[in-house]
Amino acid sequence: MNVLTGTIQICNVPNAVDIVSFAANPKNQSERDVKILIVEDDATTGPYIASGLREEGHSVDLVADGKDGLIQATTTEYDILIVDRMLPHLDGLALLKTLRGAKDTTPVLMLTALSGVGDRIEGLNAGADDYLVKPFAFGELAARVAALARRPSLTEQETLLQARDLKMDLVRRKVLRGDVEVDLLPREFALLEHLLRRKGRVQTRTMLLEALWDIKFDPQTNVVETHVSRLRSKVDKPFDHHLIETVRGAGYRIAD
Amino acid sequence: MRLSIWLALLFVVVSFISLSATYLVVRDAQEQEIRVSLLQDMAGFRAAPTSAALAALVTAQAEETDPERRLLSYLLPSGRIAGNAAIVQEAEGYRAIALGDRALALSGKYISLTEVINNGLLTVALTAEPLENLRRIFTRVFLFSLLPTCLIAIGIGFLLARRASTHLVAIEQTLSSLTQGDLSARVQMPDDLNGDLGRIGTSVNRMARVQQKSTAALTQISTDIAHDLKSPIQRVAVLLAQIREAKDLPEQAIELADQASAETESIVKTFQSLLQIAQVEGGTSNLDLAPLDLGALASTFAEIYAPVAEEDARQLVVNAPEEPVWVKGDATLLGQLLANLIENALRHTEPGIEICVNITTTTKTATLSVEDRGAGIPEEERQNVLRRLYRLEASRTTPGSGLGLSLVAAIAEFHDADLTLTSAKPGLKVNVCFDRIDAPSSV
Repeated sequence: MNVLTGTIQICNVPNAVDIVSFAANPKNQSERDVKILIVEDDATTGPYIASGLREEGHSVDLVADGKDGLIQATTTEYDILIVDRMLPHLDGLALLKTLRGAKDTTPVLMLTALSGVGDRIEGLNAGADDYLVKPFAFGELAARVAALARRPSLTEQETLLQARDLKMDLVRRKVLRGDVEVDLLPREFALLEHLLRRKGRVQTRTMLLEALWDIKFDPQTNVVETHVSRLRSKVDKPFDHHLIETVRGAGYRIAD
Repeated sequence: MRLSIWLALLFVVVSFISLSATYLVVRDAQEQEIRVSLLQDMAGFRAAPTSAALAALVTAQAEETDPERRLLSYLLPSGRIAGNAAIVQEAEGYRAIALGDRALALSGKYISLTEVINNGLLTVALTAEPLENLRRIFTRVFLFSLLPTCLIAIGIGFLLARRASTHLVAIEQTLSSLTQGDLSARVQMPDDLNGDLGRIGTSVNRMARVQQKSTAALTQISTDIAHDLKSPIQRVAVLLAQIREAKDLPEQAIELADQASAETESIVKTFQSLLQIAQVEGGTSNLDLAPLDLGALASTFAEIYAPVAEEDARQLVVNAPEEPVWVKGDATLLGQLLANLIENALRHTEPGIEICVNITTTTKTATLSVEDRGAGIPEEERQNVLRRLYRLEASRTTPGSGLGLSLVAAIAEFHDADLTLTSAKPGLKVNVCFDRIDAPSSV
């Protein structure tokens, strides 16, 4: 296990309304050690994401061959599999289908150079839990891995969400910052709820687009940024302490 | 079916002609026979030496003869009539009255022969009844043969037509599957099917096989390109990220690394868009088009883009009917189409203007249009902007790849929708006209 080398960087831009932190947060106490298998044949990408995920505090095995990947995945217990779609000897889709055929339900994040809508559906139909198109930023991968690691807890039905002095009542649709009521539009409410439910975890632009509006393509305008800044102007700006952080190169997060 | 009716008609005409010919020949023969018989009779009577002797002969024969079958009438020079009937010529023909026990007017057709013998007028006539019977029999034969002939003709025609139409339907279905992108579709043909349809089916299958092969080759090539190009780009991105994380990096190097990252990102975006256009144009075969509410799509995207529009004091307005407007489509692709149109309007107009997303319907069609009050596109340029990577002079300085409208065109084409660019006086109006469908039953 690597020693953690993450750095925290606070960005002091004039009028900065957001805290910018960079990459690694030390292994979270509440989060258990996540065991990840990466099956990726690319000699640069494989080691890079492996070391990045290790820095995030996960324990990571890396194999570069489809067959080895299948053997490794069936003989050792993993929390998450990261599988490249095109692999020597046994391609990623076949590997995934074999695992799912054997009733192995380990969450799988599929990496691929194929970006068509049809390719995505094919991957998800084969049993992938998430699908990431190359090239991707490491932050995107890390955020999606975190989401997969926490997947089961998403089913919990909470009606009262809280982060520091922010309280969100989902039933009465009320948001309080301390004693001050914050008036939000439905779309702002949905965004805040999404971030609060995943407190402590980074949500990337693409994850937000998919989750909030079911958008699976990359808009050319800063749609997510605009929505977040709207939300911030109501939830954060009037108050001393800012809750919504920008994670550089990745996305947004409400600190735990 | 039309073929079988023609066939039946042909049969009827042919059998009518052949029966008529037979009838005429047979009738002539019979008539001839009657005439010969009359001539023979007449020859016998001619042998009588005097009119009295002839009258006696006629009377003797008349007694044994049924006037309905054979008429004998001898008008003696004295004015007396011997025989079994009196025949009188009248304006409209002949009248024959039977003589003897039963004096009655005779009717029917007779063939007669009249000759002056021994100064008297002898008329011998034989009934034409056999001829009449003949006609009746032929008419009956004709009518009776007509019905089965017609039935057989229509039946055979129907069978042939059904056989043909089964194959036509099979060919039609195969062609429609092929156009919808399922290149593995083939016409199922029985082995014994020869003839035109068989040849067409074989040709369709051959065409599909070639098409499938070349598409597979194309897909393989684009997959290879995607893999071989994206993997190095991924590596460059990784390397840049590693540079960025290096310790004690001069400020300038960080800036350069960031710029390089941004450039790789734009390469990826352009590349992605080109690949996607190619995929959509190639007919993404494994996509199922489902009923989709255009109104809901419009309001979702208006909500998504409203804050972006408001940033520059623009307004995003949706004009749509209250009830859902259903079309058949892929939600992701149509979402991207609408997003591209809205982004296009946002990018190429001045701040503060209004952008409208409209849904209009007719009974058959539903049109999604996005119009802005910007500068618009000159008419002669409107087709050009749909071309890949084409950019108007005026917009070369604004961000964008010049692929947005090409993708819109490809997606519209994929949905069999008509894409038109018109003037919003001023500004640009982009219309996408779909076929409307009925509301799905599950809703």
